Amino acid sequence: MHSKLSAMWHSKRGRQWREYLTAYLMLAPSVILIFTFGIFPVMFAVYVSLHRWRIRMGKFVGLAHYVRAVESLGFLLFFGVAVGMLFAAWRAWRAVIAAAREHAESPWLWGVPGAVLGVGGVLWMRYGVILLPGVLEIPNKAIGVKRSQGLFRKLLWEAFTEPHVLVAMGAAAGVTLVGLLLWWVLYRRRPSARHSTYILQWGTGVFFLLAGFITAGFTYHQLQLTVQKALQEGKPPTIATHVVLITIGLILFYAAWKLWQSAVDSASDKGFAFKGLAALFLLVAGWIFVAELPPVIEAGDPDLWRGLVVTIYYALGTVPFQLGIALVLSYLLFQNIRGREFFRVLYFMPYITPTVASAAVFRLLFIGHPSGLVNRFLRLFGIKPLKWLWEPRGVFSLIADGLGVHIPSWAAGPSLALVVIIIYSIWTYVGYDTVIYLAGLGNIPNEINEAAEIDGASRWQIFRHITLPLLSPTTYFLSLIAIIGTFKAFNHIYVMRETEALKTVNTFSVVIFDTFFTDTRYGYASAMAFVLFAIILSLTYINNKVQGSRVFYQ
Amino acid sequence: MSVVAQKSTPNYRLRRGLLRGLLYTILIVGGIIAIVPFLWMLSTSLMTLGEAISGRFLPHVPQWHNYVVAWREANFSEYFFNSVEITFITLGGELFFSILAAYAFARMKFPGRDLIFMVLLSTMMIPGMVLMIPNFLTVTWLGRVSPIKWINNWPALTIPFMGNVFSIFLLRQFFAQIPDDLFDAAQIDGASHWQFLRHVVLPLSKAPIMVIMVLSFIGSWNALAWPLLVTNEPTWRPIAVGLFQFVDEAGSELNLQMAGAVITILPILVLYFLTQKQFTESIARSGMKG
Repeated sequence: MHSKLSAMWHSKRGRQWREYLTAYLMLAPSVILIFTFGIFPVMFAVYVSLHRWRIRMGKFVGLAHYVRAVESLGFLLFFGVAVGMLFAAWRAWRAVIAAAREHAESPWLWGVPGAVLGVGGVLWMRYGVILLPGVLEIPNKAIGVKRSQGLFRKLLWEAFTEPHVLVAMGAAAGVTLVGLLLWWVLYRRRPSARHSTYILQWGTGVFFLLAGFITAGFTYHQLQLTVQKALQEGKPPTIATHVVLITIGLILFYAAWKLWQSAVDSASDKGFAFKGLAALFLLVAGWIFVAELPPVIEAGDPDLWRGLVVTIYYALGTVPFQLGIALVLSYLLFQNIRGREFFRVLYFMPYITPTVASAAVFRLLFIGHPSGLVNRFLRLFGIKPLKWLWEPRGVFSLIADGLGVHIPSWAAGPSLALVVIIIYSIWTYVGYDTVIYLAGLGNIPNEINEAAEIDGASRWQIFRHITLPLLSPTTYFLSLIAIIGTFKAFNHIYVMRETEALKTVNTFSVVIFDTFFTDTRYGYASAMAFVLFAIILSLTYINNKVQGSRVFYQ
Repeated sequence: MSVVAQKSTPNYRLRRGLLRGLLYTILIVGGIIAIVPFLWMLSTSLMTLGEAISGRFLPHVPQWHNYVVAWREANFSEYFFNSVEITFITLGGELFFSILAAYAFARMKFPGRDLIFMVLLSTMMIPGMVLMIPNFLTVTWLGRVSPIKWINNWPALTIPFMGNVFSIFLLRQFFAQIPDDLFDAAQIDGASHWQFLRHVVLPLSKAPIMVIMVLSFIGSWNALAWPLLVTNEPTWRPIAVGLFQFVDEAGSELNLQMAGAVITILPILVLYFLTQKQFTESIARSGMKG
């Protein structure tokens, strides 16, 4: 009887294992590809950004690229990453506590194998860093020799079996094995239904704790080196004070934000006034500290700083107009009109056109020559031909010149060339935004409008107090996509930029691509790319915080 | 009663008529702005070089010959078929791998399923600029050590795009909606996962597969930065890069540039008009654009 039961158990188990294996095999191609071209490159890019790297790998330079790009903010960026890792560790710890409390059991023993596995994870990362240079060297070793698969296999084997690489692998594998063994022993002794959850959370917690401390220590070490170098050169060590001041400023901002939230929630008027005032004070104080920010960024790479300004101009020029026009068009299309489908198809056409092709057309439309179509069109109204895409001067200063007024250079505004690119972007994206807004309008229940109409609301009142608030999730989604899109914008700018416009149209992404592709400064370009990543992440976060609280969800 | 009375007064009708007029005017002006660049592109592509430079609105005699020149001498035929090949290879690999992975995520149980899915999803927010440099190094490395060439060849242009998180996500959501009863019935009949996938799931999933096809097609037709990095001779250069370099280098032949632009746009427009609804929907759903 007993043996029969155990045989059944085994066969069932066997089937389960076969199912697992099938699933992993089905996942394998996608997971391998996404890991190789989507996850590994992030770590690899960190590695590249810490080295001098001009086509080939050069010497280790630490955070020098980040400092060159954004001055002392580079250190702040890495401290931020360290804090993020510690935060992740704290979250994992909270998850362990929550699970243990819910099921009234002690999670502590699981911490031992979990922690060992977490240390193992850190050791595997270390192994990667130690292995990488040898693997990257393989093609260089194969130069001048007849290349064959055999040679490649031999060189790869050599890279993996160098003594120091083997030692690193042994350490990582050994610790991981010990962790797994402890897990197994513990599971035998005290089985728990949540053993894998505990191990996972403990493991990630310890991993991120260690990684956070390593990152913070590395950043601190780099900071020290930079300060020492500055002192030796007889320069005042402004960097450390910058870092401290800006950090304090950001913390004050955060405190002000929290206080403001609790002020809004507070029941009494007195409490609201008091907390609101305190929040205001904190905000001003934070601003005084963060006022260090612009000079710091300006002390960084001028190309990058200009790229940031251009991107901000570009975002301010495209996003509001694009959303406003799309809102009007979709609202009109939503009325009971003829040919709605036709207009929708028409408006969507610019968006689906391959970017290079439509940008090539705009390049000719807005050619800086008097014979260009736009220039000839303007001549009908008696406007003198403009240089459009060839014009590096700011629009506001052009207008002021036309009126015979002189304005200072900081008020010159985006260059006329950038304005053309803004026009192109609006032309392209209005169709997309219109289609999304139409879907949003379709989701508003008709009864609400009818009820408002019966109550005697005018069309404008309905639009202002019903349609617009109910569309706010759509607006939120579209503005987030559009703002992030401006930081990623590349193709059309790359096609439409002319040498005559100097660098006044190079947005952030274009600056990075030029540094990488034209100047072949791989290490520095990677560092810039991470600055871009940090900006996009913080924009998303701020957008979530600010707009998320004001968006009206049904 | 009073509302009806108000609605039939001549004053109200006049106002209503004016509003309608204004509404249609705005819509039509918008439509004209959307379409004029296309019309002008067509018209310039049929001009002689002199006409194009002097900036006429319409050609005197349509120069259909321009298209022959662009297609043959400016190499657009080669770029065009390169792009077609790149699209098909990418799409084939992407669909095959994504369907397998999505099926495993949606209909199978295995340890670490949700964790792996979360990790894959989190990669979607990494900007392409961060990935571009290390991926270029990886692809160069692979090309140097593997028996097939990667740079200036199809692998560098297609293989990195075969693992697509968005496709897996889309298919997974769809597969998960297929009723469990169907699966149970198939299992009782002794069907394996593979048979269930082939004979039940795939025939039901034409819509999401269509979405992936459209997006993949637009993606490879639009790609500029990556192909610019990994191709430096015309043998595998896709059409966007071909057009870009033609515009950049042959700066003066405006009419041929526009003929090239028309050739580039045409396949996408044809696809758009054929599958209009699905096309709009798939793009609206993904929010992507190069």
